[in-house]
Amino acid sequence: MTTLVADSIGYRPMTESRHASDLDALLRQVARRDAEAFAALYDHTRSRVYGLVTRVLRDAGYSEETTQEIYLEVWRTAEAFDSEKGSALSWLLTMAHRRAVDRVRAEQAAGQRESRYGAANVERSGDLVADSAIASDERRRVAACLDSLTDVQRQCIELAYYSGLTYAEVSQKLSANLSTIKSRMRDALRGLRGCLGVS
Amino acid sequence: MTEPTGFDLLELATPYALNAISDTERATVDRSLAAAPAPIVHSFNDEVRAVRETMAIVAAATSAEPPAELRAAVLAAVQSEKPNQLGWRTALLAAAAAIIVGLAAFGIGTAFRPAHTPSMTEQIMAAPDKRSVSDQLAGGTATVVFSRQMDAGVVTMTNVPPPSPGTVYQMWLIDNKGPVSAGTMDAAALTPSATHLVRNIGKSGMLAFTVEPGHGSVQPTGTIITKLPLG
Repeated sequence: MTTLVADSIGYRPMTESRHASDLDALLRQVARRDAEAFAALYDHTRSRVYGLVTRVLRDAGYSEETTQEIYLEVWRTAEAFDSEKGSALSWLLTMAHRRAVDRVRAEQAAGQRESRYGAANVERSGDLVADSAIASDERRRVAACLDSLTDVQRQCIELAYYSGLTYAEVSQKLSANLSTIKSRMRDALRGLRGCLGVS
Repeated sequence: MTEPTGFDLLELATPYALNAISDTERATVDRSLAAAPAPIVHSFNDEVRAVRETMAIVAAATSAEPPAELRAAVLAAVQSEKPNQLGWRTALLAAAAAIIVGLAAFGIGTAFRPAHTPSMTEQIMAAPDKRSVSDQLAGGTATVVFSRQMDAGVVTMTNVPPPSPGTVYQMWLIDNKGPVSAGTMDAAALTPSATHLVRNIGKSGMLAFTVEPGHGSVQPTGTIITKLPLG
């Protein structure tokens, strides 16, 4: 299944991210407590994980801590990975995103958000994209798909996915009703999915 | 909120997959899914999966190389867990036993129930990255055992004389943003030893102690009498 998805979107093996099914196999080895497989998994996924976490947290120190927690969780819970339910990369990045979002919300609840994430610290979307082993043509392809969304769709993804807001908070912030926001999020994802060719 | 069913539930699949719902609402959705008809559950899961696979590819757009030293830290953290569950449990039990002895010595023997989930203190004591720092404090000893992974530490004061009447010892976590209070200990707390849990150590590089008037201060007003570097 994952292989088919990968083929259908022309998801070529890259320096960092091997073919999706290779990552699945690595993660299964990690579930058997294979430390070498774990190191390989780290090397093949680290820039996606760290990059996503940094994009959400916007703080290098927090991002390093959180990335470390994520990989520890990978080590502890790899047995729960089921390739029938999705690819290893999506399993890992879902976990990473959830941790980052939890951290942002915890900081916010603790009232530290303003000082930690003050205006001076906030970089615009895309600014954090550092040079990495991700093939530049893939990066361009994803960027083009993000560009193909409408402004309001992109704004929804920005706030809900990268800023860690709940859809209810997005609706308040944009003064739009809940079902409008849910529709925008759904349409944004359908647009991306179609553009990227995810079956 | 009312329990979402059918279409309402499916509308939440995208926010759910993007982690764009509150923990409370997530729990409500999970409950509703458990009771929902199979076709609804199937559609919901398909949507969640598609969203997550899509965002996994989108992650190429935000990729950024972590600092090289993070690799060693990650691998070391995992390596220290490697002696699998048995070793982990043994370590935990050993740490718990040490704490029981410690607490009994301090005359605080209240904290233990059988078959409990590990307390924060036990988790710190069992944390693979735990470290311990001690220094003299007013003729006694202040020790902090802390874990970055747990984001917390346990301070123990032994043979520390009570502060002057009307004052307390106050602990401060200091990071590059300045000091944040980590709690106080008064004379009653110090007879003859005391432990104190410090949470949210974050990126703090130091735990410092001052003497503060009354029940403590918002910002330190006294001079630092002891510093424990959280290196």
